[in-house]
Amino acid sequence: MSRDDSDVNRRTYLKYVGGTAAAVGLAGCSDDSGDGEDTGDGGDGSDGSDDGGDEEQLPEPESRKEHLERANLRLNERAPWIFLNRQYSVYGIASRLDWDARRDERIEAQAISVTDGEPSVTITQSSMDSGLDPHDHRETPTDNIVVQAHDGVLGRNADGDIADGLATDYERLEEGRVRFEIRDGVTFHNGDKLRPSDIAYSVNRVVDEDVGITSPQNDQLAGVTGAEVVDGGVEITSDGINPIVFSLFASYCKVVQQDWIESRESSEINSDMNGTGPFQVVEYEQDVKIVYEPYADYWGNVPDIEELTIRSASESSTRVSQLLAGETDLIVNLPPQEVSRVRDEDATEVTAVPSTRVVFNAMRYDVEPFSSAEFRQALNYAIDVDSIIENILQGFADATGQPTLEGFVGYNGDLGPYPQDVEQAEQLVEDSGHAGAEITLETPVGRYLRDVEMAQAVASQIDELSNVSCEIDQRDFASLAGEVTSGNIENMPHFYLLGWGNTTFDASQTIIPLLTSGGALSSYREDEDVNELMSESQSLPGGN
Amino acid sequence: MALGRFLLKRGIQGVLVVWGVVTAVFLLRFITPGDPVTFVAPLDAGAELRAQIASELGLDQPLYVQYADYIAGLLQGNMGYSYLRGTEASTIVLARVPATGERAVAATVVATVIAIPLGVISATRRRDPADYGATLFSLVGISTPNFWLGIMLILVLSVQFDLFPTSRRPIGLFETLAFLVTIENGIAAPMNVDAFLNGLWTWLWHIALPAVTLGTYFTALVTRLTRSGMVEELGQPYVRAARAKGLPESLIQYKHALQNTLIPIVTVLGLQLGTLIGGAVITEAVFAWPGLGTLVINAINVRDWPLIQGSLIVIGTGFVLINIFVDTLYAYLNPRVVH
Repeated sequence: MSRDDSDVNRRTYLKYVGGTAAAVGLAGCSDDSGDGEDTGDGGDGSDGSDDGGDEEQLPEPESRKEHLERANLRLNERAPWIFLNRQYSVYGIASRLDWDARRDERIEAQAISVTDGEPSVTITQSSMDSGLDPHDHRETPTDNIVVQAHDGVLGRNADGDIADGLATDYERLEEGRVRFEIRDGVTFHNGDKLRPSDIAYSVNRVVDEDVGITSPQNDQLAGVTGAEVVDGGVEITSDGINPIVFSLFASYCKVVQQDWIESRESSEINSDMNGTGPFQVVEYEQDVKIVYEPYADYWGNVPDIEELTIRSASESSTRVSQLLAGETDLIVNLPPQEVSRVRDEDATEVTAVPSTRVVFNAMRYDVEPFSSAEFRQALNYAIDVDSIIENILQGFADATGQPTLEGFVGYNGDLGPYPQDVEQAEQLVEDSGHAGAEITLETPVGRYLRDVEMAQAVASQIDELSNVSCEIDQRDFASLAGEVTSGNIENMPHFYLLGWGNTTFDASQTIIPLLTSGGALSSYREDEDVNELMSESQSLPGGN
Repeated sequence: MALGRFLLKRGIQGVLVVWGVVTAVFLLRFITPGDPVTFVAPLDAGAELRAQIASELGLDQPLYVQYADYIAGLLQGNMGYSYLRGTEASTIVLARVPATGERAVAATVVATVIAIPLGVISATRRRDPADYGATLFSLVGISTPNFWLGIMLILVLSVQFDLFPTSRRPIGLFETLAFLVTIENGIAAPMNVDAFLNGLWTWLWHIALPAVTLGTYFTALVTRLTRSGMVEELGQPYVRAARAKGLPESLIQYKHALQNTLIPIVTVLGLQLGTLIGGAVITEAVFAWPGLGTLVINAINVRDWPLIQGSLIVIGTGFVLINIFVDTLYAYLNPRVVH
């Protein structure tokens, strides 16, 4: 969406909703504004969340979707982040392969077909697994290795829509209880038949610390409290209605065989896999490679690929060289500066798909100058997001003006990105009472695609305002993440760049953890309107 | 006897150094920002769950208890369990040692084989084109960042001319040698010479570029050292005496002058070999070489302290052992140091 388009969209929507909300938003889109919008703040260092009567002027949201859209509107207005972009997953691929990249960043090799040459495929990612236990990790590289051999209760197609997995049918029985009917004739790679109790065990292993391990995936099944076998099916219980429970199971919780897991030590579980998936492990060399072959008794379509190998190379230039030399067929995280090298060769291509990751600059609501909504809005107006996308990310990203990405449940299609408006930004800074502020943007190094370059551009554009100066502080991701996830807002940096992936395709799984009072990683905890909207949304049906 | 006492003394010093490394590395975790629980716990983990995980990892114990447990474990060969992988740190660390060792030794061999003859030629043909060529090579070698050289070698020799693989280590030297010596049920199996030759070729083919990349700086350094050492030795009175006696020039250069030049070179070789074991992280990354360097970096990124500690202890121990070996060699080359 161009800046002009987004401007028109914001105007149109805010004209429709009217009232103070319009004053807040429209002020940002017009040239004659800056007249004390968001008066609830007053530049006194408090956020002033009572700004408004916003909701009085708007029709009451009824459905869950409307609640989420309203929350996104509120967040767009209050600007707890500098909304930067949704990044793309960019892959380099041998032309002899036919494959559509998935939006959830997973590579399911079953979907790859070989159109020319040997029916073997090699994938090179940036790192190998941190162990093969399907429930004891939470990184994408490990996911990509695990999903070849393990199925979930439900799955997703390439567009992110829910698809059947090991369950053939699912229904909500009552508030807080759903039921899955389990597919017949499914076997694990060791030949044993899949039992409903294996699925119940898998769920409990993730959500219950007393079953095997303390799974780091616990929060991925948010709200789920347990599972049990009832009349040949599996019933899942949750706290409250848990509207996105099916969405959660479409993205998370791979199924393991209870007997196989319980009879093995952790080191064995982390070095072999016995799933029901389309590929079974032939060879595993920790940190080096994993080789699979198709599982002949797979319940779905047996893959065409005769041998699948996954390896790693942490350097992107090495991955590109491997692809160009024909040593691998598919590489992940192709950096923008390498795109032309891959595109220019006959034997290789570039494929990209919008990811589920939003990149933003969070601002702590409880410290000056970020406690002022006007100041936060000013920083959004200071940034030329389109320029950053074009010049730093070579176009492999979409600008956004809300925390929820397009295509997600709750995405508010009427909200565009903030347009760059330096005069407006400077006026808002004056109005906020924080003229002359000196701020520091803390950014991880090498964690996200061109993170430091993006942070430098953001800081430079803010620094160009006449009344704010900004510099960046490059941080080791581990220590930055430690501060952000400590659970104590006092430990969090005041202003930092972060990315957030959400493969549930539901707004709640971004807004609740990052932008509500109870969110574990929240930098914005005082907005009662957002809290209420999100709380109500979680008690209504209507997940993905 | 004197050599024995010398080695015993070096051995005791080595043990103390390793203990110092262990202690320093152990203490490092307490002054480094970043909590390992962050990477193990679910994102929404509350204080109670975090405390439970910290307890499971033994991180809730007082410092001296953790230290005593760690030392006791080390004495039994136990480096603890990787926080993220859940497997024994020693298994993970030791699995990386062959790759790192091969790369370091190969780089040293490349450097030695090229640098010493080049240095001698340069010293004996001073102000000759060969000397200028060697000097230029040394300057370029010392000035070239090895990560850049590695990428250039890959782009030119692998991608452009398809002469070498771009990266990876599909087989190790020990796995290759195993084709020659395989014991099955206590009986030596027949040697599989074809498999050995194939393995050796594959290994050499894959290690060539990493060895050259890593060895270039080293080559340049040793070339300069050899040249300056030889120039100095060739001006010594004993060389003039040898020439006066009518000894052949090649004998004077290679037997007498070079042997004396080797003493400082051996010292530098030892130090550099130790550096190559622990360093060269970027080279490992460029060539996707699964060595200790990348393991340490990856472990640091997620604060997997058992892996960090284990790797650094192995690297430190390797460094100490190499230095003891070099000291021994030094004592052999120059017996006066023993006294």
